[in-house]
Amino acid sequence: MSSGKLGNDNERDANSNSLPDGYGNTEAVLLPRDPFWMFTYWEISYNTVDRLIKEIGIDNFQKSRKVIRVYKLTDNGNIEDFFDVPIVLEAKNWYINVNECGKTYECEVGLITPDGRYIGIVKTNKVMLPKSSVSDVVDEKWMSVNQEFEKLLEISGVEYIGKGSLDIAKSLAQRWEMLRAVFSRVTSFGVSSLSSQAIQKEEFKEKGFWLVADCELVVYGATVNDAKLYIGDRLIKLNPDGTFALRYALPDGDTNIPIKAISGDGSMEKGVSIKVIRETKKYE
Amino acid sequence: MNNKELGYLCLVLHAHLPFVRHPEYPDFLEEDWFFEAMCETYIPLLDIYERLTKEGIDFRITMSLTPPLCNMMTDPLLQERFKNYLYKRIELSEKEVIRTKNTPFYKAALMYEQRFKRIRELYEDFYNGNVLNGFKKFQDMGKLEIITCCATHGFLPLQIRKEAVNAQLKIATDDYFQKFGKMPRGIWLAECAYNPGDDYFLKSYGIRFFFLETHGILYGTPRPRYGVYAPVYCPSSVAAFGRDMESAHQVWSAEMGYPGDYRYREFYRDVGYDLDYEYIKPYLHSDGVRRNVGIKYHRITGRVPLSEKQPYDPDDAREIAAIHAGNFMFNRERQIEYLYGFLGRKPIVVSMYDAELFGHWWFEGPMFLEYLFRKIYYDQKTIRLITPMEYLSIYPDNQVVQPIMSSWGDKGYNEVWLNGSNDWIYRHLHKATERMIDLANRFYNNTNPLYERVLKQCAREVVLAQSSDWPFLMTVGTAKTYSTRRFVWHIQRFTRLWEMINAGNIDEGYLSDLEWRDNIFPNIDWRSFSTIDTEKKAK
Repeated sequence: MSSGKLGNDNERDANSNSLPDGYGNTEAVLLPRDPFWMFTYWEISYNTVDRLIKEIGIDNFQKSRKVIRVYKLTDNGNIEDFFDVPIVLEAKNWYINVNECGKTYECEVGLITPDGRYIGIVKTNKVMLPKSSVSDVVDEKWMSVNQEFEKLLEISGVEYIGKGSLDIAKSLAQRWEMLRAVFSRVTSFGVSSLSSQAIQKEEFKEKGFWLVADCELVVYGATVNDAKLYIGDRLIKLNPDGTFALRYALPDGDTNIPIKAISGDGSMEKGVSIKVIRETKKYE
Repeated sequence: MNNKELGYLCLVLHAHLPFVRHPEYPDFLEEDWFFEAMCETYIPLLDIYERLTKEGIDFRITMSLTPPLCNMMTDPLLQERFKNYLYKRIELSEKEVIRTKNTPFYKAALMYEQRFKRIRELYEDFYNGNVLNGFKKFQDMGKLEIITCCATHGFLPLQIRKEAVNAQLKIATDDYFQKFGKMPRGIWLAECAYNPGDDYFLKSYGIRFFFLETHGILYGTPRPRYGVYAPVYCPSSVAAFGRDMESAHQVWSAEMGYPGDYRYREFYRDVGYDLDYEYIKPYLHSDGVRRNVGIKYHRITGRVPLSEKQPYDPDDAREIAAIHAGNFMFNRERQIEYLYGFLGRKPIVVSMYDAELFGHWWFEGPMFLEYLFRKIYYDQKTIRLITPMEYLSIYPDNQVVQPIMSSWGDKGYNEVWLNGSNDWIYRHLHKATERMIDLANRFYNNTNPLYERVLKQCAREVVLAQSSDWPFLMTVGTAKTYSTRRFVWHIQRFTRLWEMINAGNIDEGYLSDLEWRDNIFPNIDWRSFSTIDTEKKAK
């Protein structure tokens, strides 16, 4: 017997739709994906929506822009900066791109009312994103761990023969970048070459005056809510009302986005194919 | 001790499979993952260790044997099923020796017959049906350092509660102690996924070292003086060893790596597809669908269709494995000479691989390792094989560096386990984890034996749901249906138990059924999910 046809177990046909859409709470979670991307998921309960509507009125609620406010925090937890990402509340999750790695972030799902007022609904946990380059910090600290492990002795300023750490770390890092570039496997439709983007930004900053600009792609639409929707060969989970919205990184070149919907009973199929061409140029 | 060497080579094999065991079916497809790895990787590695030891050839290797793997290796049902699988292979290989007489496949057929019989001999006569006995033996001799892993290969940086990290580590180290009679000194963090601060938990469990992908250390703060060619101490004083990319790619790379040589065995051409249906049917699963049975008679040949693959010659392949081992050693010697001059300290080159690459994907991989061990022992003086603990006893002084969050997955961070194909799981995984933490806190002082059983089973279902294997398989698209089901099942099973506890009404029949299906970690410490236990271990 293979897993392809499991006896008469009532669990057998479990798939991602077998789990509830939500848990009836208002909550939001932030996860780190890589130095420049985070993922957030949220749930806003009916009670919370009711409360908001009572507070600001149904009209204001409907007309307000729904956003994720992305806070960049300082090392001691204060807000250093923030920006808003427009979202569809029903999407319930979003990938968030930031321009500075190695920092701690916190997000908040919120509304901006037609008169420009920001109302936070729910905050996420904090996430510290990793760095994507060799550290500038060269102060060395050394430690001696003996066999009992418990007794720690810290030594500082130990001189070792050989080249300085800067030369070694840099040459090893370059070698590693080269190996990665040569060997990294083909990536699927989505984000690519994060490290090269990061290097570009560093170059700009060194010249004193700089500009960083990037572009992303939002694919959205709607179909009958029991249809199966595919973008490429990936099955997309529809919102309860049949809408969908996805956000992608948009690399230079041609990006083809084949979108296909198959009716709930499998009898009908419709497709939309979108081709996007991005060309990025720099001027001096 | 020979002090003439200029540096060290630390070979690390990560042996892991997700916990796949289905007593509810007489025959289950995905259990083959374990049986194949037993025949192709784990027992062939032990065979090498046996032969080298018998011939007095000293060697060192570090292997993680993950808790799910150890639990499968010691599970009576899987032991019995493996024996049946092996006997079937022996039977088929005996028939094949007769069928292939006077064909170009005869030599390979003979090789399979001898091979399966040797595996049976080791499995039954040497290790009494429990291969951990074999691994333990070489650990006791000091040649093999067995390290543990997160309890169910849970991906720690995508956990939002420290209680989940504590539980993965507590359950893993408890299991190691039960299996090996001592505490582990090292750990393989699942997917080499490290989150700054988790090392404090490692320290609390007596773990002295773990492994990181190259950039995990290179991008650390402050800048690591020796790059990845010396370990660093995390602020907690646990040592982190970084991966050497050069030796990794010499083996791994699809274009330039050794396993692609045209004389090696072709993985995708299998007698399960090639032979007459009625003849091969007894060796297929009960659904009768043609699949790999593990006997393959063709070599890679070149970039040609499967139908044009040429017959496999085991002697040619062996010769190439020896040449590749010599080449690998030569490159390590040059690398270590260069680094020694460059760094002014004896470098350690850490070569880390998935164990299943050796044997399962690269059939001649174990042979390559055997030649490598022999050549290092007999043919050179530049490099010495070493385990991390031996290295740390020679070099207890190391730089303090805070490594970055990183993994060994594609692109180096968390994307393989967090992308459009699998991001939906985290909402449910985090909710189940949070509920488990709440149960552990509320019932911490429980003495009721029935509740003890339910709480243990709750913890089993949660840790099984946490396996990084499910989101990984969703990303790569193989076994996507199975991995999705496994994730959903464990969440649903946990949720139903959680509801029973909250309702104060335990369905004992349901509980017993789950205890029988998901029987991993018989003595699981469910209290490791509690906040109080976690806080004790956090610093």
